Amino acid sequence: MRVELTEMLWFEEHAVSLSELAELTGLSPATLEELVSSGAIEPIDASSPEPRFGAAALGAARHARRLREDFDLDTQALPLVLGLFERIDGLERQLQALRARLPGRIR
Amino acid sequence: MKYKDYYAILGLQRGASDEEVKKAYRRLARKYHPDVSKESGAEEKFKEVAEAYQTLKDADKRAAYDQLGAHQAGQEFQPPPDWQQHWQPSGDDSFSTEGLDLSELFERMRAGRGRGGVRMSMPGQDYEIAVPITIADAYQGTEIDLDLNMPEYDAQGQLHRVPHAFKARIPKGASDGQRLRVPGKGGKGFNGGRSGDLYLNISLRPHPLYRASGHDLYLDLPLVPWEAVLGTSVEVPTPGGPVRLTVPRNTQAGRHLRLPRRGLPTPKGGQGDLYAVVLIVVPSVVGEKEAALYRQLADVSAFDPRAHFSEEGSYAS
Repeated sequence: MRVELTEMLWFEEHAVSLSELAELTGLSPATLEELVSSGAIEPIDASSPEPRFGAAALGAARHARRLREDFDLDTQALPLVLGLFERIDGLERQLQALRARLPGRIR
Repeated sequence: MKYKDYYAILGLQRGASDEEVKKAYRRLARKYHPDVSKESGAEEKFKEVAEAYQTLKDADKRAAYDQLGAHQAGQEFQPPPDWQQHWQPSGDDSFSTEGLDLSELFERMRAGRGRGGVRMSMPGQDYEIAVPITIADAYQGTEIDLDLNMPEYDAQGQLHRVPHAFKARIPKGASDGQRLRVPGKGGKGFNGGRSGDLYLNISLRPHPLYRASGHDLYLDLPLVPWEAVLGTSVEVPTPGGPVRLTVPRNTQAGRHLRLPRRGLPTPKGGQGDLYAVVLIVVPSVVGEKEAALYRQLADVSAFDPRAHFSEEGSYAS
């Protein structure tokens, strides 16, 4: 039996509250708050009293949970490691963009 | 069930200390964790290592594992007769080792102990998969068949791997590294816990003509020298069909000629651009007549492409 999926959400379209983010990732609200205050996870609108979190935050929070479980990372080490991963992602994107711009077929 | 040698997976002797177990896990996680390893097959290897560690790091589970006896990896075996009575979760008479694999057996030991008779609700498991698609798929959207084996709680709160087969529609507008969340399509929750989510990580397969950067596409456009000098109009392929492109006079190699809105569509109804990257190519063999014309051109032209080589500062002294 095959079920047709209709509801697919682009990550980009997400905007969730801190408690929803906790439910989606399995991280506690306290841990998430620490990640937010260290800057590892950024809300869409930081000045709002009820901050909302988008795609990047969901991705980073899920990543944080996985790293914490698989490497036994503590709350101090998590923001550092997440920050490094973010830099690597950015560099890989830049590298890919540069590669796309280079002629691939110089004969 | 098939025996797995958790000690061998971690590269340890059976009598290894807890500290050695932890060290071996950390070393192998550092080597094979999919976030840090680019080795092929690393993810599978990491899953094995993590499964071994989950069992051996826990004193009870390790004792239970040790009492299964040592067998050859991959060998069929049954737990000894008294094993089940000793290790089954308390108050769970329905516990049976039948049809389980080794990892499920130990997952259940944990589920059984954690519950302690109280039926807590548990959220379902999230599931994440890589979905490579082609440029054509990204351009027009696609349907993919997914056959997943998801860990899922049954009515007794025990984890089973349950096959799920369904079609997923990838809407047009996907690009490399984008992610889709399919709410509620992960493993089912237990006792009122919410269902897990399915996450699809999209990647674009390499294409012989187009190179993607976000929603923009890049295409090599080879020109012969006289086309580049005199200008021309050429037909170039785009995912949506061929398009006429005007090459202006004196087009230099490496220049990007932009075809607006001929790249990949974005989820919000926009569209990236397509860039033709100019290459100036020469024939590998020319006939006598052609060569004579080039010589004539060389005599006539005063153009010096290397004039800047003689500028001051090219040499140390």
